[in-house]
Amino acid sequence: MATYDFIFSSLGLTDWCAEGQSDAPMSMESLLQRTKGTGGEPESLWDTPFPSMDALNESCAAFPQSRDLTKGLEEGFLSIKDSLSVVLDPLTQPLSWALDGTLYGMLNAPWWIVIPLLLAVVFFVTKSWKLVGFVAGSLFLLAFIDYYRYAMETLSIIFVCAFICVLFGVPIGIAMSRSDMMQRLTIPVLDMLQTLPPFVYLIPLIFLFSVTESKLYGIAIILYAIVPVIRLTNLGIRLVDKDVIEAADAFGMTSQQKLFKVQIPLALPNIMAGVNQTIMMSLAMVVIASLVSAPGLGVLVLQGIRNLELGVGLVAGLGIVILAVILDRVTKASLARINASQKQ
Amino acid sequence: MDRDIKISIRNLYKIFGPIPDVALAYVRRGMGKAELLEKHNHVLGLQDINVDIHEGEITVIMGLSGSGKSTLIRHLNRLIEPTAGEIKVDGKNVLDYDENRLRNLRREHMSMVFQKFALLPHKTVLENAGMALLVRGYTVQDFEGEAKKWLARVGLEGNENQYPHQLSGGMQQRVGIARALASNSPVMLMDEAFSALDPLIRSDMQDLLLELQDELKKTVVFITHDLDEALKLADHLVILKEGHIVQQGEPQEILMHPNDPYITDFISDINRARVLRAHSVMKKTTEPPTDCAGDISDRDNLESVIARSEGDTNLTYRVVRKGKQVGVLDMKELVKALVPIESAEGETRSRY
Repeated sequence: MATYDFIFSSLGLTDWCAEGQSDAPMSMESLLQRTKGTGGEPESLWDTPFPSMDALNESCAAFPQSRDLTKGLEEGFLSIKDSLSVVLDPLTQPLSWALDGTLYGMLNAPWWIVIPLLLAVVFFVTKSWKLVGFVAGSLFLLAFIDYYRYAMETLSIIFVCAFICVLFGVPIGIAMSRSDMMQRLTIPVLDMLQTLPPFVYLIPLIFLFSVTESKLYGIAIILYAIVPVIRLTNLGIRLVDKDVIEAADAFGMTSQQKLFKVQIPLALPNIMAGVNQTIMMSLAMVVIASLVSAPGLGVLVLQGIRNLELGVGLVAGLGIVILAVILDRVTKASLARINASQKQ
Repeated sequence: MDRDIKISIRNLYKIFGPIPDVALAYVRRGMGKAELLEKHNHVLGLQDINVDIHEGEITVIMGLSGSGKSTLIRHLNRLIEPTAGEIKVDGKNVLDYDENRLRNLRREHMSMVFQKFALLPHKTVLENAGMALLVRGYTVQDFEGEAKKWLARVGLEGNENQYPHQLSGGMQQRVGIARALASNSPVMLMDEAFSALDPLIRSDMQDLLLELQDELKKTVVFITHDLDEALKLADHLVILKEGHIVQQGEPQEILMHPNDPYITDFISDINRARVLRAHSVMKKTTEPPTDCAGDISDRDNLESVIARSEGDTNLTYRVVRKGKQVGVLDMKELVKALVPIESAEGETRSRY
């Protein structure tokens, strides 16, 4: 006898409950109770359990326990997993290629080509020698302490993932800015992606793809990092001065002309702010993704935690900070350059 | 009428709200703006507007903020869709236009100048001036000459490669005007084009507009809340109040014969001597006056006539247009005309 027996008896479900009856203990708690020989009836009102799934299961064996819920979810996912993989695998394969290709390229080119190339990119987007000097110093420092390889792995992953985020994020943001319906539908998804702990969406990904494939961590990083660029593209386009849009209309611009000649150029500062955020978030995620075999500095951090190698963990952490500062400064500087050219 | 009608607005209504058609039925049955807002939560934007805009003239639409003047001008190129009525440009109803024809109208026939300039901040002055041509598919090389010509015409020679934020407000609006002129459209819509400028620059810009107008003879629709500006520019003045037309006509005519206490109140503060012209005050006659003190032009304002008479009210002048006498101006009549029509001044003051 248990607390909530009366519910099932009053509903006339006693027979249905009896079907699930079994004498074997269904949980640790009931096993303990049985060995101690105490009944399920609480002694006073004070001890009345919440009518949860487990409490109701005590009264009615046919009622599912809470672990049946998580188990059902898992089984459901596993049953659709194979067909889902058939669709997702070929769709995401290019991501694997891109990641593997970039990693191969960055790691196999000699350092005296890669570093000047990176510095050239920095100069191209920021036009600032000071920043080029800072980046050169940081990269040489990382290379000097023999973290060059790890840093390049991390950078390659970030480049690929951030590029794909922009590739998909900007059009999604534009679509959101043009339709309120689209915005209403997309925002909850973005909110979820942003608040779901990153570890949580690693789990289904592990089931879907094999851990040896690079797209596994690629997808995790992209899902996590794509949110700001979508949000800020949408916001940027919606914030474009109404008067300028009206002028564009009054001079007979088509909606395409308006988008490419007015809205996107004027939203560019916001879009770039989104790209900056996206890059920073990819960096955060690339560390976590080392749990699912993403190479780079994150692996060293993980090694530091697992083997309690304090020095390795700290230096790798510092390396990540240096990369973060580089990426942030460079994207901020190019953002400032765009801002300066279109003051209102 | 001897002048060609370029744009004709007939029975135009605009009601803002979720179901304007229902609200329109109430308005047609005589419901007022306040009642409509209170009972049905719809805003009456424009009510039964009828205006003929003549070719080659400056038509000024004047009213206080909230009177619907900006709404009205946006109906002409359908930036705002009317609830009911028709707008004919060159005899064709704009409201029947499909998207392509409407775009063509906006590209080729109507250009617009905005209160807040609305220049593209990321484009140079030259590219901004050529915006209308850029929209039509020309490249910068194609329109460079044309854009430069108009920039020079509004006094911005040498600023072509600057960005709008590097220019002062007055200069930015000159770019706005050059942009409208470069589109080479017969109609120019000017939405409070000079309201954001300081008084001296505003006066300069008004002179520039009049000068350009003498030369180009565009059909200009000008929106303003400033009566002095309206009187300076207007060939035809339309006064709006709470979405309906209170009075429209020749500005001098409105000054001499206001038909509404609202207008009386409006015009009571202006310098009549400067605004009124000889032909509005004179007695129409071709008979020469008995003791003529001299000839004055019918376009002379009263201020200049007073200056010429040195304050002597016993004089009589012959008013001449193109060498022919059109009337006689008695200084006594002139002085009388300087006193604003006093109709219930105290009462209207308290009402507005």
